[in-house]
Amino acid sequence: MQKKTLKGQIRSQFSKGINRRLRGSGRIPSVIYGHQDPVHISVDEHEFNTKFKIISENIIIKLSVDKKDYQVLVKDFQEDILSGKITHIDFYEIEEGKMLKTKIPVHTIGTPVGVKEGGIFEVLMHEIEMECLPKDIPEGVEIDVSDLVIGKALHIHEIPEIPNVKLLVASDQVICHVTRKREEKVEVPEEEVAEGEEAAAEGAEATEDKQPKKEETKD
Amino acid sequence: MLSPKRTKFRKRMRGVIRGKATRCNKISFGDYALVSLEPKWITNRQIEAARVALTRHIKRGGKVWIRIFPDMPYTKKPAETRMGKGKGSPEYWVAVVKPGTIMFELGGIDKKLAIEALKLAHSKLPIRTKIVMRRELE
Repeated sequence: MQKKTLKGQIRSQFSKGINRRLRGSGRIPSVIYGHQDPVHISVDEHEFNTKFKIISENIIIKLSVDKKDYQVLVKDFQEDILSGKITHIDFYEIEEGKMLKTKIPVHTIGTPVGVKEGGIFEVLMHEIEMECLPKDIPEGVEIDVSDLVIGKALHIHEIPEIPNVKLLVASDQVICHVTRKREEKVEVPEEEVAEGEEAAAEGAEATEDKQPKKEETKD
Repeated sequence: MLSPKRTKFRKRMRGVIRGKATRCNKISFGDYALVSLEPKWITNRQIEAARVALTRHIKRGGKVWIRIFPDMPYTKKPAETRMGKGKGSPEYWVAVVKPGTIMFELGGIDKKLAIEALKLAHSKLPIRTKIVMRRELE
């Protein structure tokens, strides 16, 4: 289980404009919630980005806000996809000795045999939801995929058992699989071919794509 | 080329593209993606050209997801026609794309090949784009 530290400041004003100015000054508006009343805080953007290149729900953070420490997880975050900046973070306060639901990342090890034979390896589940005590949160699930051949998949029930952890995903769910590569066919629509033949017979020079005109109207 | 199988109405009002994408703005299937940075209509021909560029470049493997669909009819009046006499006839289909929309996703290939392929796909599109990837791959 990873542990990191972070510093925060209480924020007392919550309007859109104030939050916008806060982001402009290099801080991220955030909230801490859990078993107590929510606390509105802000964290330093640079500090957060340097410490959390990968944001995962399985990292316990010691968050210091005004001489008070909180044990939290990053439950959710919002980011601006155009600028790549994080605009808001949800911290979930954990309680020692109480079960919590979280997500752990899936790490694949090795190159599948199927890929060497020309297949495509695809990871369908990047995170697995589970329930455990805060002290038992694993860093991730490592899966050896080197034996996967084309057409085979790895399911939840095939992963090694993690001690003191209850998985909240159906056991028949697929984590990753190797599929056969589909050959791309150059398709010529039959209608176009027929039109072309007719046009050639009539001596016409060009045929146009009339696809939008063929739709049915029901109005 | 992509087009709807059937539609309720033949023609549609043009509308205005306002704001950023609030949906289809996160990588859902693959590892690498091409994001639009501008609002624009993307035609089905442009989508097909970008798809062909992607699939030809990653011929050794990988999978492509097209996250946009051209569901809006583009109408056009015939050449040398006087104004009036109603709206023109549908010519082709367009996808309405907002800034931040994930247009194409790639998976199952290495980073270098994916970036090269997405750059080629970008060159087939009439908008500015950005290549993004999952955080753990950056």
